[in-house]
Amino acid sequence: MWKTILRRILIMIPEIIILSILVFLLAKAMPGDPFTGSINPKADPAQIHHLMKINGLYDPWYQQYWNWVVHLFHGNLGNSYQYQEPVTRLISGRAVNTLWLALFTTVLTYCFALPMGMYAAKHEGKLPDSIIRIYTYVTYCIPFFVILVIGIWIFGYVLGWFPTTGSVSSTANPGFPTIASRLYHILLPGILGALFGTVNIVQYLRSEVIDAKGSDYVRTARSKGVPEKDIYRHHIFRNSLLPIAAFAGYSITGLLNGSLFTETVFSYPGMGLLFINSISYRDYTVITALVLIYGILNLLGTLLSDIILSIVDPRIRIQ
Amino acid sequence: MVKTKHKLIVAAVTFLAALTLAGCSNNSSSSSNSAVKFSTNYKNSDATDKSATKNGTLKLALVNNSPFQGITDPILGSNASDAMAFAPGNLNNLFKYDKNYKIVDGGLANQKLDRKAKTATITLRSNAKWSNGSDVTAKDIEYSYEVLANKKSTTQQYSSDFENIVGLKEYRDGTANTISGITFPKGENGKVAVIQFKKMAPSMKFSGNSFIWGSVEPYEYIKDVPIAKLAASDQIRKNPIFTGPYKLDKVVEGESTSWSPNKYYYGKKAQIGHITINVVSMNNIDKALQSKKYDSVVPFAAASLGGTDYKNLKNLKGYTNIGKPSLSYSYFAFNLGHYDTKTGKNVSDSNKKMANKSLRQAMMYALNIDQVTKKFGNGVKQRANTILPPIFDKYYDKSAKGYTLNIKKANKLLDDAGYKKRNGSKWRSDPKGKPLTIHFGAMSSSSSTEAVYQDYLQQWHKIGLNVKFTNGKPMEMNSFYDTLQKPTQNKMDLWLGVWSMSSEPTESQLYGDTAPFNYGHFVTKKNTELINKMNDSTSWNDTTRAKTFKEWQNYMNSQAGVVGEQFSYAWQPVNNRVKGFNISPANDDSFYSNLTLTSSKMK
Repeated sequence: MWKTILRRILIMIPEIIILSILVFLLAKAMPGDPFTGSINPKADPAQIHHLMKINGLYDPWYQQYWNWVVHLFHGNLGNSYQYQEPVTRLISGRAVNTLWLALFTTVLTYCFALPMGMYAAKHEGKLPDSIIRIYTYVTYCIPFFVILVIGIWIFGYVLGWFPTTGSVSSTANPGFPTIASRLYHILLPGILGALFGTVNIVQYLRSEVIDAKGSDYVRTARSKGVPEKDIYRHHIFRNSLLPIAAFAGYSITGLLNGSLFTETVFSYPGMGLLFINSISYRDYTVITALVLIYGILNLLGTLLSDIILSIVDPRIRIQ
Repeated sequence: MVKTKHKLIVAAVTFLAALTLAGCSNNSSSSSNSAVKFSTNYKNSDATDKSATKNGTLKLALVNNSPFQGITDPILGSNASDAMAFAPGNLNNLFKYDKNYKIVDGGLANQKLDRKAKTATITLRSNAKWSNGSDVTAKDIEYSYEVLANKKSTTQQYSSDFENIVGLKEYRDGTANTISGITFPKGENGKVAVIQFKKMAPSMKFSGNSFIWGSVEPYEYIKDVPIAKLAASDQIRKNPIFTGPYKLDKVVEGESTSWSPNKYYYGKKAQIGHITINVVSMNNIDKALQSKKYDSVVPFAAASLGGTDYKNLKNLKGYTNIGKPSLSYSYFAFNLGHYDTKTGKNVSDSNKKMANKSLRQAMMYALNIDQVTKKFGNGVKQRANTILPPIFDKYYDKSAKGYTLNIKKANKLLDDAGYKKRNGSKWRSDPKGKPLTIHFGAMSSSSSTEAVYQDYLQQWHKIGLNVKFTNGKPMEMNSFYDTLQKPTQNKMDLWLGVWSMSSEPTESQLYGDTAPFNYGHFVTKKNTELINKMNDSTSWNDTTRAKTFKEWQNYMNSQAGVVGEQFSYAWQPVNNRVKGFNISPANDDSFYSNLTLTSSKMK
C-alpha cells in the first residue's frame, strides 16, 4: 500500500505543474490588473505604471511564471497586491479562521446526520422516517444563504443570542477568553451549517442501512440471536459507512475551502471570501497561491478517501 | 399514495418557506419626495453621563463586504476601509481645516505659505506626541515624503506633482539620499520643517492638495524597516502608533479594531472609555442598526449607506440621521478623442461619433434624472447639476441648471443638427445619412442601478437614438476601466462612471489636457485656460478662485462633454445616547475627542 501511495503522490507532481501553468495563464488573461480597482483622482497613472513595472507585471508570462516558481522553491509565494503583505501570512491567517469554522461544522454535521440516518433506516416507512426525509429534502432545497440571513436575523439581531460579525470579539483578553470568544462566534454559523448540510450523509446512510438490513449476514446474525442493538452497531453500521467514507477524504481536505456565504453574511474573514476578493482585485499572487493549494488539497483528498476506504473495508485494496 | 402525500407536504413546506422569505423583503416601491435636508451636527440636548462615558464603549460599524486590509499608514493604504478602521487615531493628520477644507491653525501643526520665497513652513505644536509618548518631530514630517517618493515604496499616492518640491525628484531617482528642499531650521528633532517649492499653487491652502502631504510618519519608530516592507511590518499592522485622541488597543485582522484614550494627545482629551469598530456587511447593516448593535457607522467623506438603507432606517427609533454631501459624484462622459502617448496629451478628434455638441446635449435632455433619483435615491441623492460636489460650498455653483428632461428640445437639437429619421427607419441616422448606433458603457451593479440604466436606454430610444449597451450588457468593473484606459477606444461612445474626489476641489487630474484620467479626451482651449486659472496667481484670492470654478462648471455644462448624473449624501443614523457627533469637515480634527455618552445603554 505504501508503494501505491508513493506512486500516487509522484503522479501528482506533473498534475500540479500543469495546474499551476493553467492558473497562471488564466489569471493573466482576465481583463484588468491589480491596480485597475484603485483608480482615483489622487492616484497618478505614472505611479501605477511604476508599480506595475517594479512588480514585473509587464514581463512576458513565461518569465513571470519562472520568477514565481523560483520564489516558490524559496518558500515565498510573493506579496499580495491588495493587502501588501506576504501571501503566506495572509493565507495562514485566513486558513486558521476557516479551519475553526469548518472543523466545527463538519463534526457537528456528522453528529446530527449519522444518528438521523440510522434512526430513519431503522424505522423505514414509519413516521420518524418520513419526518427525517422531509427534513432533509426541505433543508436541501432552501438555498443556504437564505438560511444564513434568516438565522442571523432571528438569533443574532432579534434575540441577540449570538455575535453577528467577525471571528472573535475585539475586546476579548488573550488566552482562554479569546478561545471562548472564537467558539462563541462560530456557534451560530456552525450550527446552521450542520443543520442544513445533513442531506447527503442521511440519505446515503439510510439507503445503505436499508439495503444491509435485508442482507444475508444480518439475517444470519439475527438467527443466531444477536441482540438487535448489536446487529446495528457492529454489522450494519460499519458496512453502511462505505459510501460516506468515500467522500470523507474530500471533506477533510475540503475544510479549507471556506464558505463564501457564511463568510459574507457573518463578515467572517476566511478563505472563501479571500479567494473571491482576490479574483475581483486581480490579486494574482493570492489567486495562484490559493488555486494551487486547493488543487493539491483535492488531489490529496482523493488519495485520502481511497486510504480511508481501505481501512473501513479491508476487502478494498488500492493498487 | 403515500408518496404523493409526502410530495405534497414537501411542496407545502417549501411554499411556506418561500412566503416567509417574501415577507422579509419589502417590495413596496413608495418613493420619498425631494432631497432630504441633513444637518452635519447632531445636537443632543441631554447631559453627558460622566461615568457612562468613562466606562462605556462606543460601538461603530464599518460598512464593507470584505475584510479591511489592515494598513494603518495613510500613505501606504489605498482604500477607504482602512482609513475608516483606524479613524480614531486621526490617521496622523497634520492640519486642521474649515468646512471648505481650507487649512487653518490649531491642528497638530500650523502651515504658513510664503509666496515670495516659495516655501511652506510647517510648525508642529510644542506638545505634539505619538501615542507611545515620543515627540512628533520635524523629521517625521520629512519622512512622509521619503515614504511617498521612494522608488521601492508600495504607495499608490505618489504623483509627479510632488516633484515640485526641490530635490524630491533627485531623491526618487536615487541620486540623492535626502530631499534637499526640506530643511529643519531647529534640527531634525525640532518642531519646524520648511519645504522649498519650485512654484507655488493656491491649492496648497487646502487639505488634500497634491503638493503638500497632510500626515506624519513616526520616523524613530519605523526607521529600521525598509520602506518596501513597511506595509507588511508589525509597526504598521500590529502595534501602530498614532497622533490622534485614541490609541489602538487591538486589531483583529480584517474584522475589528478597539481603542482607548491616548493620554499623550495634544488636544482635548478623549472622553469615552472605549471605541470599537467592527466590519458589518452591506446586507446586514440595516438589521444591525435596527437591533441597536451599533451607535452609528464610522463617518467618512464618501457614503457608506445608500438610498435603500435610508428607506429602512429613516424612522429608526432612538436614532437621529445626520449627513453631509459626499465627495463623490457620478457622471456621463462622451468619447471625444484619444490620448497621445508620445506627447502625453489628450486630443479631441472632430470626426468622433459624439463630436457633435447638439447630439450630446440632446442625449442629456432626453433623460429624466430628477425622476430616477427621486425613485431610487429615496431622498439621499439628487441630480448633479454640475461636476463638482456641493460639499465644496464656496466653489460649487448652486444656480447651474444642468440638464433636465426636455424631450421637445432634444428632438429639435437633433433635427437641427441633421440627425434625422430616413427611409422610414425608427432610428435616426447621422447627418451624412449613415446609420447611427451609440454604445453605452455601464458597470454591473445592484438591480436598482441596472433598472436605472434601462430607463436611460428607453429615454434615448424615445428620441430616436439607437443606443445599446457596450457588449450587450453592463460590464464588470475591471473590463470597464480596462477599456477606458486604452489610449484610443471605440467600444464606448458614452459611459456612466463615478469619481471620488480628494478634499481639494481642483479637477485638473480628471479633466486637464494632460490628465490620463480624462477618459473622454474632452479638450478645448477654454477648458485648459479655466483649469489652469484655478491654480494660477489670480486664484490666491478666494473670491476670484471661486468665480473661476463656477465659470468652469457652467462652461463644462454648456459643452456637455462630461455631465453630472447624481450627487449623494454621506448620511448616517446616530444613537441618541451619543453627544457631540458632528461630521462637518471643520470638526474632523477633533471629532473623536468631542464625543461623549449620555447613558450607558443605547436608546
